[in-house]
Amino acid sequence: MKSTRRAVLFGAAVLAAPRVGTRAFAQGPGPFRFALTPVFLDNDAAVIAALRLALAHGMGQDIELVQRRTYQEISGALLDGSVDAAWTCGYPYLQHRSELSLLGVPVWRGRPLYQSYLLVGKDDPALALSDLRGAAHAFSDPDSNSGFLVTASDLARDGQTPEQFFSRVIFTYGHRNVVRSVAGGLTRSGSVDGYVWEALSVAEPALTAQTRVIARSEWLGFPPMVARTDRRNLPSVKACQTALLGMSGNAPGKAALRLLSLDRIDPGEDALFAGIAARMAVLAKG
Amino acid sequence: MRSVPRFRDLPVTLRVPLVTAGLMVLLGFLASQSVLVTLGRVQDARLSETARLHVEGLSVALGPSVLRQDVWEVYDILDRAHSAFDGQRLLLSIVADERGRILAATDPRRAPIGQEVATLKAEAVSPDRVRMTGDPTLRVVSPLLFQGREIGQIVTELDVTDLLAERRNVSMWLLLGNAVATALLAFGGWLAVARILRPLGTLVLAMDDSKGAPRPIAKADIPSADPGLSRLIHTYNRMTTAVESRAEAERRLAERERFVSLGRLSSSLAHEVNNPLGGLLNAADTILCYADRPDVVRQSARLMQRGLSHLRDVTRAILDQNRLDRVGQTLRPEDLEDLKLLFEPEVARRHQTLIWQVDAGLAELARLPAGPVRQVVLNLLLNAGAAAGPAGRVGLGVVAAHDRLTFDITDSGPGLGQADLDRLLASGPLPPGGGVGLRLVRDLVSGLGGEIRHHRQGGTTCVRVTLPMQGATDA
Repeated sequence: MKSTRRAVLFGAAVLAAPRVGTRAFAQGPGPFRFALTPVFLDNDAAVIAALRLALAHGMGQDIELVQRRTYQEISGALLDGSVDAAWTCGYPYLQHRSELSLLGVPVWRGRPLYQSYLLVGKDDPALALSDLRGAAHAFSDPDSNSGFLVTASDLARDGQTPEQFFSRVIFTYGHRNVVRSVAGGLTRSGSVDGYVWEALSVAEPALTAQTRVIARSEWLGFPPMVARTDRRNLPSVKACQTALLGMSGNAPGKAALRLLSLDRIDPGEDALFAGIAARMAVLAKG
Repeated sequence: MRSVPRFRDLPVTLRVPLVTAGLMVLLGFLASQSVLVTLGRVQDARLSETARLHVEGLSVALGPSVLRQDVWEVYDILDRAHSAFDGQRLLLSIVADERGRILAATDPRRAPIGQEVATLKAEAVSPDRVRMTGDPTLRVVSPLLFQGREIGQIVTELDVTDLLAERRNVSMWLLLGNAVATALLAFGGWLAVARILRPLGTLVLAMDDSKGAPRPIAKADIPSADPGLSRLIHTYNRMTTAVESRAEAERRLAERERFVSLGRLSSSLAHEVNNPLGGLLNAADTILCYADRPDVVRQSARLMQRGLSHLRDVTRAILDQNRLDRVGQTLRPEDLEDLKLLFEPEVARRHQTLIWQVDAGLAELARLPAGPVRQVVLNLLLNAGAAAGPAGRVGLGVVAAHDRLTFDITDSGPGLGQADLDRLLASGPLPPGGGVGLRLVRDLVSGLGGEIRHHRQGGTTCVRVTLPMQGATDA
């Protein structure tokens, strides 16, 4: 199961983050900088190395993988040009839709879609979100679709905010941390990426066994790879897109996809994120 | 039921090894106690160090997160520190903010977010004061310091089950080891001391088995290697010889006393023999002068017969008093009559009044030996006669009752002096001067298991000798 364990990606140990991407602020010509977030991706060295190798192989140049703790930091780095491209979430992509363009959307279990899960402890009697009023709740990131937007928009439909509905809200900056928070009893419930939870249930069944999924969202656009629109046509960015889309066609790419439990990476389209956009609208109105 | 002998009643050859063994047991106990105390200190120091390092490590890692009230960060650090900590000593770690509200804990179900930490830190002490109390879990509380400011508290629950088990194991092995070692040492000590004291044991046995006649210890049994003991046993051997000599002297003195008492009677008895002799000689002359007168001869012959009979009685009484072949014979009424016969001339000589009252028959008297009783009564009568003085009163009363025979010897004298009472009633050394008659009385009465009492009433001195009849059961 070790390879499976490595295949999975999860929100991550915070303290390890500074060890990655020490050259994040490097100026001038250099390797192509591709940003990741531990909210979504585990900092497992094998996964990072495989992805780096696949991109380097596809682009024919050196790649620097840059990690930040939050989606906000990733978005900021993208927008200020610190990084050339990033694997982010549909929600921050739509937040900065005017500045960002799609490079590709991963395909998981045959579709470029995933769900948000609402978790409680395995023995918790709650059956729906409404049963969790007054409880402590764990989100992964305020800019995460599955780890915040879905639950927050569900509450907004009832005219409530998470702070009003829950007794306490915490952000763990990692989907795996949301599962740990619920499994360990730190919070009664949590909002988590369905893709991460399913992968965890294979890699760490003892952890997910402590939790129970009480609600699944509709299928929503999978977290995409994006670049700044004004750099969209740069050769390096184009090469990056080509490398991403061609991963399923070469050995290093296949190895990386296998570790990530993904089928391939498709070009994608904005229509995939219509569901997220609708929820953003609900939240904005609420 | 036989009672357990008291320690001080035990022989010295048992007591000294027992004391040695006891001291070794005490030594073993003190050594064990010392080891346990040291172990306790080491464990306390270990525990204190563990708690201190844990708290200090957490303070460094948690400071910024606690300051930001970042619940997840605090939980994540606690959780990883807890799972990485060696030995699972830390059962629970709780971090509270400066208002005392729980921010996070390794087990949030036991310490939920937002709850007051006060209830969970009850009985908690600071890391440097944590001590093993016998409780399998101990709580430690410490302020959470960041940049020199107290920003919260850390409460830690320590699992000391393994330390308690270690202490139990050490205690058990110490107890077992020390018990075995102490038993071996005590046994060895016993053997050594018993060996050293063996000559002393021989001495004690020789003295215990002596039954009043201490026997000397053979030269082979005298330890030449121990000058002190050797000297002690030689001294003992010399003492046994001295005791034997003294016993022999006393025996001879007692033998002589029988003649002494007769000697005291000699002048009276001489008169008693001499007085009839004149009459007898006159009767013989009368027979010689009037041989042809049968009536005178018959009258004189009867006179001679009475006189000779009296002489025969007196001499028989004297002989009986001194005959050695009467040893073992029982007392008869005739023995008392003999005493009266021997004593009456003494009374007559002093013009005294003799009151003689015997209320005991042959059946009662026969349950006592004749020799010693005769000697006792004669000696006391002689003393009473001497004390009563001219024209005084002397009496003997014999009463049998309750398996006892009581002899009351009374006189109208001035009473016994202290020196005489010491001879008669006490067993101390004989005061200088005076005879041994009264002491002989005391020894004989003791030998018969009887007792002597002395009292004086209405000008009469009474010495009462009570003798238990042989074959009697104590009522």
